[in-house]
Amino acid sequence: MLSIKNLQAQVEDKQILKGLDLEVKAGEVHAIMGPNGSGKSTLSQVLAGNEAFEVTGGSVTYEGQDLLELATEDRAREGVFLAFQYPVEIPGVSNLQFLKTAINNIRQHRGQGEINAAEFMKQAKEKIKQVNLDPSFLKRGVNEGFSGGEKKRNEIMQMLMLEPKLAILDETDSGLDIDALRVVADGVNALRSPERAVIMVTHYQRLLDYIVPDYVHVLSQGRIIKSGGKELALELEEKGYGWLGIDEKAEA
Amino acid sequence: MTTMREVLPQATAEPNLPPTLQDFAKQRFEGLAGIARPTRKTEAWKYSAKRLNKLEGLQLAAQAGEENAPAELLLGGVQAHPLVLSNGKLPSSFPQIEGVQLKSFAALSEDEAQRVAKGLIATRDNLPFAEINHAGLGDGLYIEVAKNAQVELPLHLILVHQGEGMSLPRIFVHLNQGSALSVIESVCAVNASAEHSLINQVTDCLVEDNAALTYYRVNDDHDQLPQVAATGVQLKRDARLFSHVLSLGSPLGRHDLQVQLLAPGAECDLNGVCVAQDRQHYDHHTCIEHIAAHCTSNENYRCIADDKAQIVFNGRIHIHPDAQKTLGEMSNKNLLLSSEAEIDSKPELEIYADDVKCAHGTTIGQLNEKEVYYLKTRGIRDEQARQMLTLGFVLEIVRAAPIADIAERWEQRLSELLSFED
Repeated sequence: MLSIKNLQAQVEDKQILKGLDLEVKAGEVHAIMGPNGSGKSTLSQVLAGNEAFEVTGGSVTYEGQDLLELATEDRAREGVFLAFQYPVEIPGVSNLQFLKTAINNIRQHRGQGEINAAEFMKQAKEKIKQVNLDPSFLKRGVNEGFSGGEKKRNEIMQMLMLEPKLAILDETDSGLDIDALRVVADGVNALRSPERAVIMVTHYQRLLDYIVPDYVHVLSQGRIIKSGGKELALELEEKGYGWLGIDEKAEA
Repeated sequence: MTTMREVLPQATAEPNLPPTLQDFAKQRFEGLAGIARPTRKTEAWKYSAKRLNKLEGLQLAAQAGEENAPAELLLGGVQAHPLVLSNGKLPSSFPQIEGVQLKSFAALSEDEAQRVAKGLIATRDNLPFAEINHAGLGDGLYIEVAKNAQVELPLHLILVHQGEGMSLPRIFVHLNQGSALSVIESVCAVNASAEHSLINQVTDCLVEDNAALTYYRVNDDHDQLPQVAATGVQLKRDARLFSHVLSLGSPLGRHDLQVQLLAPGAECDLNGVCVAQDRQHYDHHTCIEHIAAHCTSNENYRCIADDKAQIVFNGRIHIHPDAQKTLGEMSNKNLLLSSEAEIDSKPELEIYADDVKCAHGTTIGQLNEKEVYYLKTRGIRDEQARQMLTLGFVLEIVRAAPIADIAERWEQRLSELLSFED
C-alpha cells in the first residue's frame, strides 16, 4: 500500500528526515517510536502533504501512485488520513459543516453523489457517541474550546466518519488519560481491516497495550534504525533508547 | 472653507412640527454655515473623505410616494411588524402593537418634543451629517414602549431611499422603565445612484431604568446607495443595549454608533460584521461613554475586505472620572482577502477613573494557513477551505444574534456573498 524509499525532508533549512525507508501493506499496523526530535512528526506531516516541509529526496508510493505529487486534499480523497498531534481550533466553522463538506468532497472524488442529510446525521451521532463526546460537540466550532483529550477524540471521530485506507496517528495518545486512551484505541481497532493500514507514531509504549501492532520501528536522526515485532516496544519501554546507541539529548 | 450649508442651502423643516422642534431645526440650520464639510484632514473622516468627495450636488430627495417594500426586503423568514419609511416619509397607517405607541413627530406633545431635541445624537456637535438631518428635520417616527411592556415581535423599520438626492429619515425610540423591544432597521434603495443619492439617517434611543433595547441594523440592498447614519443610545440605571450591525459595502457607508452609560448597572453589547468587496466602502465609528460607575460594555466587530474595498473601524471607549468599577472590552478583528484591499482600524481608550478593567485588541491579517491545511487534510479543496474559513470568521459574531431568524438570514446572505456553497 505504502512504500517509502530513502525519504529526505527538511523544514526551514534543517534536515530532519535523512533517508527513511518503510513498507506498509494493507491490513498491517505499524508503530513508529523514537525520541523527541527524531523526525516522527515530520514523517506524518510529509505524508499528509504539509507544504511547510520540503521533500529533498527519495520517493513515496501509495497504492501505485506517487504520493508526493498529489495535492494535500487529493491525498485525503485517496484515503490518507492524519490524526494531528495538535489539532487546530476553527471557531465559526461547525464540526457538522466541516465533516459534511469533507465527506462530500471525498464522495465526489469517488464519483458518488452528496450524502443524504438524514444518513449523515445518523452517522455523525453514532460516531460521536463511539468516541464518548457529547452530541452537542457536533454543533460547536471545530475543536473550539475543546480540551486536549477532546480534540484527540474528535480526530478519531473524523477518522471514523471518513473511513480512510491509510490512517496516520501522530502522537494521538500523548497527554491522554486512560479512559480517553481506550476510546482512541477502540476507534482505531474498529477501523482495522484487511484493506486498511495504520501507522501509529508514538512516544509511549502504553498505547501498544491497546492497539497491538504488527511491526515496531525505531526512528532516530531521521532514519529507521531498528525494526521488529511488538516485543521491540516492550524492550524499549524497559531499556530506553540508550541500548540502541541513541543519545536522546543529541536528538532534541 | 466649504461648509455643510452647501449641502443644505435652504431650511426645510416641516411646518407642522411642534414649536420646540421647529426651533431646534432652525437653530441647527443656522449653525450649518459654521460646520466645515469633512475633508481628509478632519480626523473623524480621515479615511473616508475621498468617498464623500464623489458625492455631487446633494439636493433633498423628492417626496416619495408610499412605497411597498419589495418582498425580499421584508427579511424573508423573519417574523416582525414591518413599517416602511420612504425617503423619510411615514406611512399613512401604523401597525398595531400592544404596548407600543407609534406616532409622527408632528403629533408630539411638548414633553415628547423636548425628549427628541435632547436625544444623544441631537446634542452632539461633531457629526456633520446628523446636523443636516437636524436642520432639515421633516417627519420623524416616534416609538414609545409602555412601562414594563415586553414586546415580543420585533419592529422592522424599512428605510427606503428612492431616486436621486438626499433623504433624511429620523427615528426616536423611547423605552419606558422595565420594557423591552427589538428594532430592526434595514436600509434599501429604489432607483438610487452611487453618485447622486444619499440616505442620511438619525436614530436616537432613550432606554429608561431596567429596560432592554435590541437593535439590529443591516443594509441588505447596498450596492448603489451611499449612506450615512448615526445611532445614539442613552442607557439609564440597569438598562441594556444589544446592538447587532451587519454592514455590506456601499459606494459610501458610514455608521456612527454612540452609547452613553448614564447610571450604574447599565450594560451594552455592540456586535458588528462588515463585508466589503469590489470598490466598496464602509466606515464604522463607535463611541462608548462610561459616565456612571458599575457599568459594562462589550464590543466585537469583525471585518472582511476583498478586492479593492476599504473598511474603517474606529472604536472609542471613554471612561469618565466617576465611572469606577467599569468593565470595558473591545475587540476588532479584520481579514484582508486581497493585497489591494484596505482596512483602517483604530481603537481608542480614554480612561479617567482608576479602578476599572478595560481591554482592547485589534488584529489585521490573512487567513491562517494552518487552518487551511487542516481542512485540506480532510479532502476539502483549497478554494472551498478558504471560503469556509472566511465565512466562519464572521459567523462567530452573526450566530450571537439573539433572534435566530435573523442570524440564519444573515448567515445565508453572507454565504451567498462570500460565494460559499454548502
